[in-house]
Amino acid sequence: MSETRFSSREIVRIDFRSNVQHVPPHMPPSVQKATTKFLGTRASVVDLVGDEQWQTLRQAGHDLRLHTITHLDYYLEMLEENVTKAGGHVHWARDAEEARRIVLEIARGGSRNVKRAVKAKSMATEEIGLNHFLIDAGIQTLETDLGEFIIQLAGVGPSHIIVPAVHLTKEGIAALFREKLGVDAPTDPIQLAAIARAKLREEFLAADMGISGANFLVAETGTLVIVSNEGNGRMCTTLPPLHVAVVGIDKVVPDMESLNVLLKLLPRSATGQKMSAYTSFITGPRRTDAENGPQEFHLILLDNGRTRILQDEIARETLLCIRCGVCLNVCPVYNNVGGHAYGWAYSGPIGAILVPQLLGTEVAGDLPFASSLCGACAEYCPVKIPIPEILLRLRHRVVEGDPVGGPSASPLLRVAAEVGGRTLGQPWLYELGTQLLKVIQIPLRKDGWLPNLPPPLNRWTMSRPMPAFGADFRDWWRDRTPEGRQHNVARKIGLGALVVGLITLAAWLLARKKSR
Amino acid sequence: MTTTPNPAREEILGKVRMALLRRIDAPVPPVPSSTRVPSRIPGAAGVEIELLLNEIRKLGGHTRRIAQRDEIAGAVAELVRAEEINKATTWETAELAELGMADILRGLGVELVSPHAGPRRLAECDLGVTSVDAALPETGTLLLRSTPERPRLVSLLPRVHLALVRPSALRADLGQAFADVRNDGYFVFVTGPSRTADIELTVTIGVHGPKALHVWSTELS
Repeated sequence: MSETRFSSREIVRIDFRSNVQHVPPHMPPSVQKATTKFLGTRASVVDLVGDEQWQTLRQAGHDLRLHTITHLDYYLEMLEENVTKAGGHVHWARDAEEARRIVLEIARGGSRNVKRAVKAKSMATEEIGLNHFLIDAGIQTLETDLGEFIIQLAGVGPSHIIVPAVHLTKEGIAALFREKLGVDAPTDPIQLAAIARAKLREEFLAADMGISGANFLVAETGTLVIVSNEGNGRMCTTLPPLHVAVVGIDKVVPDMESLNVLLKLLPRSATGQKMSAYTSFITGPRRTDAENGPQEFHLILLDNGRTRILQDEIARETLLCIRCGVCLNVCPVYNNVGGHAYGWAYSGPIGAILVPQLLGTEVAGDLPFASSLCGACAEYCPVKIPIPEILLRLRHRVVEGDPVGGPSASPLLRVAAEVGGRTLGQPWLYELGTQLLKVIQIPLRKDGWLPNLPPPLNRWTMSRPMPAFGADFRDWWRDRTPEGRQHNVARKIGLGALVVGLITLAAWLLARKKSR
Repeated sequence: MTTTPNPAREEILGKVRMALLRRIDAPVPPVPSSTRVPSRIPGAAGVEIELLLNEIRKLGGHTRRIAQRDEIAGAVAELVRAEEINKATTWETAELAELGMADILRGLGVELVSPHAGPRRLAECDLGVTSVDAALPETGTLLLRSTPERPRLVSLLPRVHLALVRPSALRADLGQAFADVRNDGYFVFVTGPSRTADIELTVTIGVHGPKALHVWSTELS
């Protein structure tokens, strides 16, 4: 599934397990500015709801999504039945390749012969790499969400779930417009948006096919729900005679009432809005010729690894996600490396748990390590996904393997983890180790710091010095009582003798080896 | 329902059941009651209208309260002047017909385009006039249905969208709004004019949808 990877140009993918010292050199300040602003507007609308009510809503959102995904087969069948009743066509795609093939078959099927497609913003189509595929097949495929339009021009993937071009400045975007569109573009966001509007108007009117994703699929009514702000989503699903939606099977909700909760949580968490400008509810194609809307509607239900995620009782909560992106905004790692460092369509904490499960830990096994486990993501998540717990679960899978996936870490790491675990499990061995380190560090020590460690530990010291091993908490604690002090003295004599003994032994062995 | 066997469908549903350890016809409990939130208790109609219009103004929309039938012609004349309206299209609902919207516009010298005209002609319109089928004061949201009298493009393609809200359209919250339209083929919630913050998070109003939204409440005595 490497086709879901972005083109490598301009992108510095970080290997979060082996390479912690290379923060992207051009990490733009616009990212942190944007995430800070998002969090500010979110806080003000959440405050209006009131903390108690907000927590009730989050719990309701969690329970609702969990109920749905733990009865997913039932709701998917209900959805299929109702979309079909409404005159829509339902397709099932096991993986990205199958989903792309189905879209192309629809575009070329019957008398259709689609030449131009317009796209609404959709993470599922980013995930399956649909644009490149359709363009290679000779169908002009154009992103119409402003942010997606910009990154399509730039030839890169999204760096944020909600604001895909957040890594670019207005100067960069103006330069891109001048280069790719051949227009005189000023560095003013409002005028840049106007240029995109004018360019895309004609495309909406001329397109033969509209492609979208969905925020929710309502099983009870067979309804596709699209939350958007610009109006391009409405254009793509109203103007072309054919509408094709590609949606992950995890997006189902039982009924309209479910949206009472989810439509309160999503816009507030994502953009700090009480409601997004447009929330469209689409059930099948248009019902009469006198109405606007497409004559034909196709829904492609995408698995692409989601059924595998369901297998693990803890990690399956990943599928509760409603793609609001708030976990990116609060994540200290995302804020320092940006979305492209994750190397896949989904970034930030949700990307760190979703991608290794979608693609397998052997492909993206470093992503669960892209976290300090600070827990901010779980605190902000509107559907209470226990992201830190799932990160640990996946780290475990990477190193030791579990029923869902075999270990993918190098044997060396596994041995190191094993040795570390045993040492920490034996107090005497641990104490001996700490005393030994105090001696071994002497030649490396400088003003209370260890500025340069030998390889492979130099990976740490290349980016920051290591504090020297010094005071010992357990010593200090025991020193507070007379018995403890006695114990400390005895222990120090014992350990000192042991350390001296070990060093003497080592020196003797070394001398013997040399004299041979 | 599809009658031809679909191996992808069977495989996906089979994998789901296997992962969940669910038998094919295992019973499904009702949606847990913890997922239902109590409905909002609305205030008096006048208060609700003011709340609705206030929320819309906060989003960059323009609002107006109309209490007398004879105020309408003047209000439309002002709008036509201020927004430089030359061409307009309107929904064909009974509510708009009763207000005489088409005649008022024609009387002001505005060219009227049929709402059933092609998209290119509708895109040339400066103004699209609609009624609304429900309004949610708490969020400043308008619900627009899609029927032959209510073409979707009228509120989407013209440069300016004028929506008329009568007090009977007020609903307390989303749940109440769904009750009327849950079986519709299409409806859309409109909350303020179209917007984006995709470039450096600078809010820009009027991207692909209308550049301006005017909402008038018609509380005709």
